[in-house]
Amino acid sequence: MSTAPRRRAAAPAWLTTFGDAVEFGARVTRDTLSRRMVPYLGETLRQAGILVNGSLAVLLGLSLALGLVLGIEGVYGARTVGAPAVAGAFAGLGNLRELVPYAFAYMMAAKVSTGFVAELGTMRISDEIDALDVMGMNSRMYLASTRVLATWIVFPFIYPLALAVGFLGSYIAVVVQLKETSAAGFLELFWKFQNPTDLLFSATKGALMATFVVIVGCYYGYKVRGGPVEVGRAAAQSMFVNLLGIHFVGILTSELFWGGSPRLPIGG
Amino acid sequence: MRREPGRASRLARETGGMLALGGRVLRAAVRPPYSYGAEFVTEFRFALGRSWFALIAAAFAFSFGPAGVQGAGFLGLFGALDRLGGLYELIIVREFAPFVTAIVVAGVVGTALCADLGARKVREEIDALGVLGVDVVKGLVVPRFLVIVALSLLFNVLALLAGVAGATLVEIQNHQPLGPFFANFRAAANVTELLGSYVKCLIFGATIAIVCCYQGLSVSGGSEGVGRAVNRSVVISFLAIGAIDYVYGQLLLATHPGLSEVR
Repeated sequence: MSTAPRRRAAAPAWLTTFGDAVEFGARVTRDTLSRRMVPYLGETLRQAGILVNGSLAVLLGLSLALGLVLGIEGVYGARTVGAPAVAGAFAGLGNLRELVPYAFAYMMAAKVSTGFVAELGTMRISDEIDALDVMGMNSRMYLASTRVLATWIVFPFIYPLALAVGFLGSYIAVVVQLKETSAAGFLELFWKFQNPTDLLFSATKGALMATFVVIVGCYYGYKVRGGPVEVGRAAAQSMFVNLLGIHFVGILTSELFWGGSPRLPIGG
Repeated sequence: MRREPGRASRLARETGGMLALGGRVLRAAVRPPYSYGAEFVTEFRFALGRSWFALIAAAFAFSFGPAGVQGAGFLGLFGALDRLGGLYELIIVREFAPFVTAIVVAGVVGTALCADLGARKVREEIDALGVLGVDVVKGLVVPRFLVIVALSLLFNVLALLAGVAGATLVEIQNHQPLGPFFANFRAAANVTELLGSYVKCLIFGATIAIVCCYQGLSVSGGSEGVGRAVNRSVVISFLAIGAIDYVYGQLLLATHPGLSEVR
């Protein structure tokens, strides 16, 4: 009969995974910013090219749809208070500050992040990642850090495109489809209700969300164990984590950037 | 070697395949015998346990950020924060609750079911069931379809509640009394809005279910099949959600002018 002291209960599985993922994310981010990335810059550019060529159209799709929805709801909502002319203000505010960051992050999670899970997971289960390690390459840098850096490289170009597509959707809905205001009336309020600082805040929000989902995708793909079935499960699980993270970042940044001061051109 | 089919022909084939699967699922669902009850309950419990937290977090975030912080900032400048109730009714009931429900159902439940069906497909379990004479559509697809549709309807309630919780927090944050807020909310709410919200959720749920089941069932072999299928299912679902949201929103508002009146 054993008299050894009772073992303390192990940490719950999700907590272990959380710690593991945080460590992975921290290492990937640190490597991404370090000088050791120089030999991997070619691969980084290749990944950036793949991201733009393969995912750009899909990334912009949801922004367009939500821009259209915002235009329509803005017009009908403003009609209830008898001021449909302010739909342009809604388009400027809502798209820039909330809808496009969310739409962009959702599509980054759906298309890019689960794509990375599928891609890296397939490499892992066919032992390609182990082969990289055996050859003396830093597989985490070669596979994960390059993808994070590629996302950062293309982000300043594709995020403004997503914003533009969202604005275009609202413009089409308000001015072309419902003919609620004139083009000049729409644009007048549209430009009044945004400024470069808001654009910077919006881009920060989008960049945080995009970085989060890309790291999550790389983590779940890199750490797959088992066979094709586990790759699918990891892709599904990564979407759960992505959605939680996107909304967490969304709450924090909305409150941080616009909670204290609404930054609107009203009153004085 | 067979030539790889082009993107357009693949799109046409997938769309046709999904529509055909949808028709078969609906027919199998209404025709007796209703042998899918036990599977439905198991899957429903699995899906509910997996996704309720993500849903509440998402609904709370959406009502707190876009509707709450921005809306309260806008109205606060006019000193009209009590009007937030009416604005919230419009934003949450009409738009955000169904949208958040659809995003979470597609992202969490749909991907899991797609991975599950895909796993069975690559392990050749589905072919084995076919050989045994089990109707795969009735035995596997119909219960999952019903789970996603039922969950979409149920989650709409939770999303509305979590949304109102977020709204309450925003009101408290702005030192506003809650009475006028809820009075405005109730004055603005009506049956048409709620029904419209539910019908939208029904359409979202049915679309997501068909997309995810189709992608799961059409997994091709190879080691990257299941992961790719999950990836495709969530991309198609999200794009479909955006498209449906736009068309349905416009149709509802154009055919029910009462929704745009002052209440």
